[in-house]
Amino acid sequence: MRVLLIGGGHSAYFAAETIKRIDLSGKLMIIEFTSEKVFVLSKLFPFAEIIQLDIDEVEEYIRANGRILDAVVAATESDSLNLRYCKVAKESNIPLVITIINNPLNAEIFLKEGIAFIVNPYKMIPIELSEILDAKVNILYSFHRIGVQVVSIKVGDRRLLSQLKKEMTKNRDLTALFVSPVGEITNSIDEVDVGWRAYVLGYEEKIKRLLRVVEG
Amino acid sequence: MAVSVIFPVKNREEYVKRAVKTAFKAKHVMEVIVVDGGSSDRTVEVSRKEGAKVIIQSNLVYPGKGIAMRDGAYLAEGDILVFLDVDIKNLTPDFIESLAEPLINGWAAFVKGCFDRAAGRVTELVAKPLLRMFYPELAKFKQPLSGEIAGLRKLFYKVEFERGWGVDVGLLIDFHKLGAKIVEKDLGYKDHEMKPLHALTDMAYEVAEAILKRAIRDRKIDAYWAEKYLKSVKSLDLKPEVDGESI
Repeated sequence: MRVLLIGGGHSAYFAAETIKRIDLSGKLMIIEFTSEKVFVLSKLFPFAEIIQLDIDEVEEYIRANGRILDAVVAATESDSLNLRYCKVAKESNIPLVITIINNPLNAEIFLKEGIAFIVNPYKMIPIELSEILDAKVNILYSFHRIGVQVVSIKVGDRRLLSQLKKEMTKNRDLTALFVSPVGEITNSIDEVDVGWRAYVLGYEEKIKRLLRVVEG
Repeated sequence: MAVSVIFPVKNREEYVKRAVKTAFKAKHVMEVIVVDGGSSDRTVEVSRKEGAKVIIQSNLVYPGKGIAMRDGAYLAEGDILVFLDVDIKNLTPDFIESLAEPLINGWAAFVKGCFDRAAGRVTELVAKPLLRMFYPELAKFKQPLSGEIAGLRKLFYKVEFERGWGVDVGLLIDFHKLGAKIVEKDLGYKDHEMKPLHALTDMAYEVAEAILKRAIRDRKIDAYWAEKYLKSVKSLDLKPEVDGESI
């Protein structure tokens, strides 16, 4: 896979690490604007080709190399720049156009431009905190491409346990694992007691319905 | 040549509708961009409704006018970028056309707006003396801190945007360093809200910092000691004391 990563900051660092890990034989090119960062990146990622360009030269580079690229990851520290580069990558028919946004509130403007793969690096903060703080309901992950969600639900009382049992029996396409406070795991709701946590996987609409029932 | 008008804003619901509408009426305007600094009012909603492209500043924890201007410049697609304060009560399409005119006609690459009024306190007491010291060729500008500016888009990719209030003077110096032809354009009378005196301390600090940083970069002062000194004073606790107690 030939991936072009734009940006040399914190997000780009983790993106480069991931790309290398999942595709050892692939080709990674990283574009950065400042010579200081280009120097650091060449030391950190000897496997990648590090290219120094001016901000306004990147679009031309994408157009010129569009045919040989499999993916573009725009991860600069400005969402405006990320949007510019994603738009050009899309126009150049690059199969995968991905952005790592700085401000989650800008996701909408990317979606409006047809950029569907938006990585929000701050997404894990509420998820992990909610799990640690034992929140009643926690949406762990949404697989947007296939419309599937994973949620965790704390079985706080008998009423909730019986509702959960009813919903799980009724909706056979919901799959769940249950974990006790001391770490026992079962897939049978009949073994579950108050204080356990249910990890439920299912289609978004079904999960939404389940959460409405559970949250009253 | 197409013009992009950019408004950096935060909680300016009462001004943004009129500003965006007026900007669209100006000749050559192809888009109006509103860069929001995390408004809690209806600024974003109103801007979108009026047809502006809206982007939220990339950094909401430490936002600043400079970051907003940078995000606006990077999003814009016009050949000419016009930056305006959104709270100009008497904003007309003429303001925009006057700022863009020298660029459209090829007389300049960067235009600084100025107004029929005495320059502000930070301008007279901080910016002008420092510019006279380090960039005397820029000391002739009547209002070097004016936020009404226009320039060729391509050049905005080659300059450094200061985060906060130092951005306007920083851009002036950087465009000058690029060798761009700069003109000051009289825009007449500007009716807008003045900042209270106590709000000017931070502004004055950031303006001074932007000029001194560039003076160091351009080797106009001893870089090693100046950099060290600037870093050390930035962290000082500057709360005034009376009889040994903070007030």
